[in-house]
Amino acid sequence: MNKIENQKCLKDCLYDRIEDEAVCPRPRLFFHSRECLVWFLWLISVLIGSIAVAVSLFVVMHRQYDFYEATHDNFLTFLVDYLPYLWFFVFIAMIGVAIYNLRHTARGYRYSLGTILLSSLVLSFAGGSALQLFGVGYKIDDILGNHMNNYLSQEKIEKNMWQSPTEGRLLGRQSYSTVQPTTTIIFKDTTGRGWTLDVRELNDKEKRILASGQEVKILGKCLDEDRGSFYACGVFPVMMDKDMPMKDRSHEREIFIERLYEYKNRVKTAIYATTTEFDKADKVINERHCEDMKPVLKMP
Amino acid sequence: MPTSDGLLKLPPSDEELVKLTLDNKSYFGDIVDRYEAKLKRYITRLGVRNPDDQLDVLQEIFLKVYRNLNGFDTSLKFSSWIYRIAHNEAVSWYRKRNVRPEGHLIADSEEIISFLGSKDEGADVVFDKDINSKVLNEALHNIDEKYREALILRFFEHKEYEEISDILKIPVGSVGTLLHRGKKQLQSVLNQAKIRI
Repeated sequence: MNKIENQKCLKDCLYDRIEDEAVCPRPRLFFHSRECLVWFLWLISVLIGSIAVAVSLFVVMHRQYDFYEATHDNFLTFLVDYLPYLWFFVFIAMIGVAIYNLRHTARGYRYSLGTILLSSLVLSFAGGSALQLFGVGYKIDDILGNHMNNYLSQEKIEKNMWQSPTEGRLLGRQSYSTVQPTTTIIFKDTTGRGWTLDVRELNDKEKRILASGQEVKILGKCLDEDRGSFYACGVFPVMMDKDMPMKDRSHEREIFIERLYEYKNRVKTAIYATTTEFDKADKVINERHCEDMKPVLKMP
Repeated sequence: MPTSDGLLKLPPSDEELVKLTLDNKSYFGDIVDRYEAKLKRYITRLGVRNPDDQLDVLQEIFLKVYRNLNGFDTSLKFSSWIYRIAHNEAVSWYRKRNVRPEGHLIADSEEIISFLGSKDEGADVVFDKDINSKVLNEALHNIDEKYREALILRFFEHKEYEEISDILKIPVGSVGTLLHRGKKQLQSVLNQAKIRI
């Protein structure tokens, strides 16, 4: 077949097929819709990525790590337990989806992978920060925690970490107290179990926090689990409140560390006392339990 | 062709032809006339060598062009757009058949000179002009597909970087990289064949 015949054939074949198969140009709306869909999917992925950033920021700002000495052996083990892996995964997946969609827009291929990656990261972080500013990170974490059994919200994590009497941690609120001054109160933990709490070593501020009836974290020592006897060495407010300023959280940590060192240093005093006033010091050591709490022993 | 006022009437541009075709499909034949030979040569270079296959692939290309005329982005050159469709169709053709492309890359001495004499991207390769085109063809088919495609568009289809970027749907910067690396790989393959480049 020579060139002209071939050309003729191609053109004729094409017109025949256009007629036979009723081929017609797709409407412009089809292409516009497809383009819009790709941009919409990109927007959704950036939005979900922003939510992942917002929740991660909330997790960081919520600062469960302020008390890591009380719950973990060291900061590394705390991090391993506590990092929001789910949100990291969601964030990475959404960045992938955003890149894919952006590259599939009409002119997306003109931008390098680096530019697209960077723009998606910047947008997600900016969006996440803005959302967190309005408390969206907390809201999402809270809603998911309340509606999904398997989702570990910050509230659940805090409860899991602090509702562990044998490890010296209790979470709950005071349910009954005798007339002041008193050395014991009745405390109800989050499982509903009642405890007799020895509060003789708590300072006035801690006793006031307890008396307010708000949910608190108790650091101390379980004296008798069967009889529900617990010795309190420190009281800290539950930090679930998203409006608690970072400054206040820092202050809470300072108080916590001060408390631990107070007990640690007291051991030395007690040992010193033992050598000078044997009988008196021996009595002191027997009455107190905070010096040999795990977090105190861990302090450098 | 002189008009009634004595001026020469230029043939419609590709973009004008697209608009005309959308109003009247008989203009589509002009697009076919304009691009059939070019695309046939291009798909041959990409590996579609059998005349019957070429006709099939060309039909599919032009039908796709016709179906998607409304999707033509006027910010692109029409030739880039139609080459992109041709490229995709040829690649999908030989992938469907699970065959390795064995195109006739080099057709005439002019192309050999164009390709061999090029020093783009500072690739310090100097080719012997009397290099055996068969050896070069073989060498080109022994380099990575992505490099081969870029080299074909640049040196055999004489496309600019932006056009290659639009056809292969990659950033312009990557075109330079592909050409540079493609030449290096080609040089290495030819060196193995003891051809000085």
